Amino acid sequence: MVVAEIIDGGILYGLIAVGAGLATGLAGIGAGVGEQGIGAAVVGVVAEEPGFLGKGLFLMLLPETLIIFGLAVSLILMFAWTPFA
Amino acid sequence: MLRPEKMSRVVVAGSKDVIAPVIEKLHELRLLHIVNYNGSQPDFALGKPIGKAKEYSEDLIKLRSMARYLDVKSKAPEVTYSESQILSQTDNLLNNVNNDVTSAFERITVIEAEVKSKQDQINALKPLAALPLPLEAYYGYESLAVFVGTAASAVDADVAKASPVNEIYTGTAKNANLVAVFVPADKAEQVSAALSEHGFSETSVPRLEGSVDSAVSSLEAGIKNLEGEKAPLQKKLADMRKQYEDLILATDEYLSVQTSKTEAPLRFAETDNAFVIDGWVPTDQFNRLKSELESAAGGKIEVQKLDDKEADALVGHGEDVPSKINNPSIVKPYELITRLFAIPEYKEFDPSLLIFVFFPIMFGLILGDIGYGVMIFIALMLLKKKFRTPGWQQLINIVLIASIWAIIFGFLFGEIFGPLGLWGYMFGNLPHHEILMLEEEGMFFGEGVFGSLGRLGPLGVFPLYRLATNAVLLLIGISIFIGVVHCGLGSILGIKTELAYGEKKHAYFERLPVLIFQVFFALTLLGLVMGQMMMVYLGGLLILVSIVMLVMGPEGAMGATHIPFYVSNLISYLRLLAIGLASVGLAFAANQLAFYVIMPMLSGGAHNSADFSIIAIVVGIIVLTVVHFINMLLGILSPFMHPLRLHYVEMFTKFYSAHGGGVEYAPFGHVRRFLKV
Repeated sequence: MVVAEIIDGGILYGLIAVGAGLATGLAGIGAGVGEQGIGAAVVGVVAEEPGFLGKGLFLMLLPETLIIFGLAVSLILMFAWTPFA
Repeated sequence: MLRPEKMSRVVVAGSKDVIAPVIEKLHELRLLHIVNYNGSQPDFALGKPIGKAKEYSEDLIKLRSMARYLDVKSKAPEVTYSESQILSQTDNLLNNVNNDVTSAFERITVIEAEVKSKQDQINALKPLAALPLPLEAYYGYESLAVFVGTAASAVDADVAKASPVNEIYTGTAKNANLVAVFVPADKAEQVSAALSEHGFSETSVPRLEGSVDSAVSSLEAGIKNLEGEKAPLQKKLADMRKQYEDLILATDEYLSVQTSKTEAPLRFAETDNAFVIDGWVPTDQFNRLKSELESAAGGKIEVQKLDDKEADALVGHGEDVPSKINNPSIVKPYELITRLFAIPEYKEFDPSLLIFVFFPIMFGLILGDIGYGVMIFIALMLLKKKFRTPGWQQLINIVLIASIWAIIFGFLFGEIFGPLGLWGYMFGNLPHHEILMLEEEGMFFGEGVFGSLGRLGPLGVFPLYRLATNAVLLLIGISIFIGVVHCGLGSILGIKTELAYGEKKHAYFERLPVLIFQVFFALTLLGLVMGQMMMVYLGGLLILVSIVMLVMGPEGAMGATHIPFYVSNLISYLRLLAIGLASVGLAFAANQLAFYVIMPMLSGGAHNSADFSIIAIVVGIIVLTVVHFINMLLGILSPFMHPLRLHYVEMFTKFYSAHGGGVEYAPFGHVRRFLKV
């Protein structure tokens, strides 16, 4: 009965939206935590050896994909997944 | 274009009589990438500098120290000089001008030091004003010890305990208690110990006379005098800098050229009567090099091309073949992105052309706004005139080309400073009932039209309103598709590179499976979306095949552990859609905020734009400008960084720099900037 209420009352869509937000937001935090350490190290290396900038950028941008995963999940939740349809 | 130019290994041997004309000719030709002789052959010694090498390098040191005093920095040339002009002025420049500059600079240094010491004295004196003693009272005693400084608490009692004979003066200045303690010299140690218990810290008293105030004012007068002397000297240096800047840079160039010519033999192998130069030259330029050198040396020289086998043997012994990157001038700016990562090895591909194709499209796809595109284009055109060093020019050209793509995609997405809004005013929108109809059929891609042309493209998708559900789904597909093509090209180049290195196993069992995996992974996804089960089964089968190939590859079962990386490679391309959406979202929010919140609110709830008050319109426009400006700055940064990442991480890992960076072709010679040809 509660389930029916959730589905009919539009609460489900609210929960989907919250889930989508969490997926992107938490992934963003994860990516940020990952980049923090790499970023600091890269800045240190580039200060000593400017030629390392390209490779440093490469390493620093690696964890960026994490947030894209989160976003992909959000997009699927918001647009592609229609539950109980 | 895609590969560095073909090079040949050359050996030039000649009589020492002709070494000077040969060096002169080589320098002028700028063709030979010299391989430095390392002295490993017992019959050949390292060459010795010729001519006035020592003088030139001494002059160069003098000149550079003067340039440093004058703060002359390299810049785009405005005037050029002929060599005779330089020669006639070198003496004057290095002696008279140099002496003037050096003496002015040294005087300024002395003045600055004096001002600093006077300033320090003033700082030390100021607190002493709290004590009722003239300055000469603090020094010059033989039997007395003097302690002057600050103390945290009253010292009288303890000092009296340590030395019954004493004289103490106290005063307060700026939250500190100043004390001056006079005791007999033989009690100094005990008193010092007693004082330290009160947190005493000593102040050094300058050896001056008279009252503190008069001493401070005479010091200040002295500083003013010195500053008065310094200002004209600084102006003199600035004037001299203006006058001689170009000449200094040109002379620097001339002397550097002369030094590199006279010191060139250090890179050659020599015997008593002959010299040998090793080097690489672009194969198609070899005949020119040979004939020019032979005519310059009057036949006393032998220029020989090694055959491929001999050259390969040298490479096997650790000699690097220089890579001569050669791209059409429109692609040149994108070499910056390649170089930032690594110089391609001789046998590798030069990815600049691919970056030229993909990078601007990705930038445009992300930004995709006519308004932002035009603004960035105009701003860059202005900056292009201002920043004229080659590095800046390259960077500006990269974004310039990309901003044109942003304008093109702006038309496809129907965005001028955000979706709708301005677009609707200029080109018109769909009637409301048609929008409702399209939404019902699930065919709604946006409400803008191309003026009288209406909507264009298959199913009338353009102008594509990026925030519409259908458009998001379409763009997900397009992003992944670009990813497959991008990574696929990378994998194909990877296969060819491995074959060029003769690594067949790496080519067919490490690079090829990745290509198969990514292409069929995408096709399987497409099959699932379209409900074509045949495609899904076929795709799944080939994915399995590719995994099996990876396991058979050089890395064995470990190879298969890379699979998640290849999946994430493709998903990573979703950023093309995602960052674009974020920027559209912000622009959309700015427009909504200004036109539907601020303007109506400040006009007392008016809903018709004709009823908006002047204040409401002004405030609204300010908000619009600020938010759009911020969005535009972000709109340059993220569409630049993210495609950069897609190239570096997703594409380059497939083929580039796996064998370590290469050495760039740097022929012996010099590009004249400040010197006339």
